Amino acid sequence: MTTNLHFEMVRGLVGFMVLLLLLSICEAASFYQPISDSHRSAALELFSPDHGSFNSLEETYEALRTFDILGIEKKPNVITAACHLISNAVGSSSSTTKDLFYALKANSIVKCKINDKAFQDILTRLNTAVNDASSLLDFYYSIGGLVLIKLSSCFYFPPYVLIHCLAMLNQSSNADVHLTNADEIFHSVKAFSQSDGRWRYSSKNPESSAFAAGIAFETLAGVVSLASSELDQSLVSTLNNDISKLFDSIEKYDDGALYFDDKLVDGHDHQGPLATTSSVVRGLNAFAAVSDGSHNLPGNKTLGLANFFLGIGVPGDAKDLFNQIDSLACLESNRQGFPLAFLMGSIPLIFSLPFTVISLTKKNSLQVKVNTVLGSNAPPLTVKLVGAFTSGSKDASLVESQELVFDAGTGLHNLNNLPKSIDVGSYTFVFEILLHEPEHEKVYVTGGQKKVPIFVSGLIKIENAEIVILDSDLGSIETQKKLDLAGQSDVSLSANHLQKLRVSFKLTTPCGLAFMPHQALLKLRHESKVEHIFVVGNSGEQFEIVLNFLGLVEKFFYLSGRYDIELTVGDVVMENSLLRAIGHIELDLPEPPEKAPRPPPQPADPYSRYVPKAEITHIFRAPEKRPQKELSLAFMGLTFLPLLGFLFGLLRLGVNLKNFPTNAMPATFAILFHVGIGAVLLLYVFFWLKLDLFQTLKLVGLLGVFLVFVGHRILSYLAATSAKLKSA
Amino acid sequence: MGKLWVISIASIFMLLPFLGNAFSPESPTDRRVLVLLDDSAIKSSHSIYFNSLKSRGFDLEFKLADDPKIALQRYGQYLYDALILFCPSVERFGGSIDLAAILDFVDSGRDLIIAADSSASDLIREVGIECGVDFDEDPSAMVIDHIGYAVSETEGDHTLIASDDLIKSDVILGSKRIEAPILFRGIGHSLNPANNLVLKVLSASPSAYSANPKSKLSTPPSLTGSAISLVSIVQARNNARILITGSLSMFSNKFFRSGVQKAGEKTKHEKSGNEQFLTEISKWVFHERGHLKTVNVKHHKVGETDEPALYRINDELEYSVEIYEWSGKSWDPYVANDVQVQFYMMSPYVLKTMSHNKKGLYSTSFKVPDVYGVFQFKVEYQKLGYTSLSLSKQIPVRPYRHNEYERFIPAAYPYYGAAFSMMAGFFVFSFVHLYSK
Repeated sequence: MTTNLHFEMVRGLVGFMVLLLLLSICEAASFYQPISDSHRSAALELFSPDHGSFNSLEETYEALRTFDILGIEKKPNVITAACHLISNAVGSSSSTTKDLFYALKANSIVKCKINDKAFQDILTRLNTAVNDASSLLDFYYSIGGLVLIKLSSCFYFPPYVLIHCLAMLNQSSNADVHLTNADEIFHSVKAFSQSDGRWRYSSKNPESSAFAAGIAFETLAGVVSLASSELDQSLVSTLNNDISKLFDSIEKYDDGALYFDDKLVDGHDHQGPLATTSSVVRGLNAFAAVSDGSHNLPGNKTLGLANFFLGIGVPGDAKDLFNQIDSLACLESNRQGFPLAFLMGSIPLIFSLPFTVISLTKKNSLQVKVNTVLGSNAPPLTVKLVGAFTSGSKDASLVESQELVFDAGTGLHNLNNLPKSIDVGSYTFVFEILLHEPEHEKVYVTGGQKKVPIFVSGLIKIENAEIVILDSDLGSIETQKKLDLAGQSDVSLSANHLQKLRVSFKLTTPCGLAFMPHQALLKLRHESKVEHIFVVGNSGEQFEIVLNFLGLVEKFFYLSGRYDIELTVGDVVMENSLLRAIGHIELDLPEPPEKAPRPPPQPADPYSRYVPKAEITHIFRAPEKRPQKELSLAFMGLTFLPLLGFLFGLLRLGVNLKNFPTNAMPATFAILFHVGIGAVLLLYVFFWLKLDLFQTLKLVGLLGVFLVFVGHRILSYLAATSAKLKSA
Repeated sequence: MGKLWVISIASIFMLLPFLGNAFSPESPTDRRVLVLLDDSAIKSSHSIYFNSLKSRGFDLEFKLADDPKIALQRYGQYLYDALILFCPSVERFGGSIDLAAILDFVDSGRDLIIAADSSASDLIREVGIECGVDFDEDPSAMVIDHIGYAVSETEGDHTLIASDDLIKSDVILGSKRIEAPILFRGIGHSLNPANNLVLKVLSASPSAYSANPKSKLSTPPSLTGSAISLVSIVQARNNARILITGSLSMFSNKFFRSGVQKAGEKTKHEKSGNEQFLTEISKWVFHERGHLKTVNVKHHKVGETDEPALYRINDELEYSVEIYEWSGKSWDPYVANDVQVQFYMMSPYVLKTMSHNKKGLYSTSFKVPDVYGVFQFKVEYQKLGYTSLSLSKQIPVRPYRHNEYERFIPAAYPYYGAAFSMMAGFFVFSFVHLYSK
């Protein structure tokens, strides 16, 4: 395997610039990292076959092609599975031209054994397909298939496929694949082109796209290479026109990345900008291989396209990864002077820095790497540091221009010792690439001077830190405490509203200059979580803040009590940025007047908001107190004592029943009358025991009538008897 | 006949709003998501995130934010169940979408994910304000942290923050701990203290501040320390869920894949916590976690099974309810020890924590208070990250009937005894009076 691609292990490549400038805040000189190991691991992750084989021939080809370009060793089982898929597609008469196309493409990489008869069958099928083709995709697949079979057109491929082509030559006896009616086919494909450089998929479909343009270029390149006789050059030159028109519609990001995008609103087969740009690059690459290179693109276009592909970073989708890698391979494909080499303008060289944060304490050296897009070595060149400027200022360069030392072992250009004039801070370094050999300047495009933001960080010395309470009117020092900002300090102070608080410290850079951090904040936090933040300003070399509490009482919402003091000092280039709780101050502020502003509400703690509520149990009414049962029974016994006394008294009086009527009739009524009274009394007992009022009243009514009747009879009898006695 | 036709059409239109409900317990698996982008390249650069959503069964539809044909609803029926706004710089949406349309969308119980960044437009900021978060008003401000930044050899401006100050909630972030810090680069926001529906999920460290990294700081930054929220969530009262973050790049493949080392720490994590964090939180936003439903709310007297029409004071009763949580595929039993039921009339008379059988059945028993009136069984369940449950069932409570009181009270026996002895005396006296000579 003659891989021209020597991959260097690129160490420490962390973080590609995000693809879009809108996501990036660095307006200056964004630069991209070339393809690296993270692409390789992403490729292995994304192209992971299910149960050893890929879902489709297209995916198989994409996986194999990506692995091939990235130099990833293909696992034997992947190859076996791919060969199985390929031979199935090639052997089957039901496979479509698309399947055949991708089968042949995949086969050009894995070199499976396909017998001659199958090749003959495919050839006839593809030839008929070319003649029957009506849409762009029909042409694309069938002509693409024929091109793949045609072995003499191996130069059409990037060089490392050449070997496979030669291998295929041995397999197939039929080497003279050619189109007799090439002009005719060229015209019928050309008929899909539109005036704006875009193409249509078929004559029925009015929508045109740049994606289709890429496919068309690839198809036409195939037609040219398959033509049995020389094609009319005017045809090819009209195509050059189309290409330049297409490039008029190229779109641009602010950082110079160029891409194609189809603005189809609801096209169901709308491709993203990556797929579209990739298709165009593939088409141009193929077309450039068969034309005489009269249309070459300016180098900055190539660089812009390369920036676009690299700017994507590591795509998260297998198709996107294939498109990115394949297009970059196309952009790089004329390396090492391939015969028909002058393919697409020039080869972009990618300039990158493994580190842009340089620590003065660690004495890192400034390193620069120059690669091709796929990460292989650049031709001999020198990187020159032209100037270094403090960010944002337009001053003269801080350094004299000097060349970086090339280390062949690591492939890095080093600037071992930073110039003495470079202190901590953020700078813009300007580099220039000088190619050693003049003829390389025609082949490679470097993109002029490179501006790179560089951060030089170091340890900042903190001195003379102190916290002081001052008396307001006199300015005399009430309390003074030294602070150790490097370690822990816990001061406790107290002040009233007539006093002042002063915090001061001094910062110096390693070179002994005064240092001004971006963040120097003093924070006072009251017990009730109300915070007050002050920017610590600098007066000369000293950082100092004076808080006059008299002017701040309103701002402090008249809240007396304990305030925690926190000091934050930090900067981009300060390696020992710090956040220190210095201590606390007890403030005694006056009582708030009526219309004093209220402190703002503080957000509630989310955890305490959702705690379960306390349980509630109902308190039942307590039952009334009752005497003991024995006591009640004893009193019930007492109530019968008067009855006993009454009975005893009657016996003592000597009562008798001599007046009881002796006649049968009155005696019967007398008995009935007393039985009636007894029944009423018994009814009372039953009323107590079980009966309710309604039942009782009913029975009382009946008994009442009976009693009135018998009572009247006996009482009138008794009255008559006693009247007789009196009168007698 | 014509009249009938008109009525039937009218009734269909009246029912339509109920047909297209957002997350419905009946068909929770049907989720269509509209993703609005600034640039179609985001589809590829953020594909890991999108693919993780697709693999969980969401039907993503990508549109450019200024596409003139986008619409959230058609003929009064919503076309999507959730909206993802990955279009920080959009000044005006295309089609019929505007601020009010988005708010209506949320008001209908649908979910929303907003990612802003330093190019955030006024429109996106307004959507944020409506959701209870205020992005830093300074358009050039970013969150900077000189202590908690992510170590990077190529990016030295300390706006790439490695944060690990996460909310402590398994339901929002999943039960697996997020080990690696989360990478963030973008703008900070603060929460409206008056809004208690919005929660800070990822906050900045105490040393962070929000300022323009390129210009000198002359006035105190409006947002500092852990008051800066990097990622916030909202759960509306109708259970619509919203995720708001000031960083679009935290969703990107680059951040998902990149390793992370927090400044000042020795450990270098192979992969940032972004993928785990954002995947887990998207499960929450899309109701794959923390969405509760209740079924079989029952109550009856102890020892019986039928639900009575009313209770008598001092009855012993049993109350039970089944609670299930949606797991993205099925309704699983919900297990917690803090579900409470109230027996409520103007104020709770009884409030009791229910016990459960670990299969979703929560039950308790208690005695009806000795106060009669119209009571309610109330379950008002609110827990961090869960949808709130609010059940109430009305039940009257009556006092004792006249014959339900105690009949023979020993303390009253002396009175009975006196009455009966009186009656016996009367009976005897009636003989003595009438017949004695």
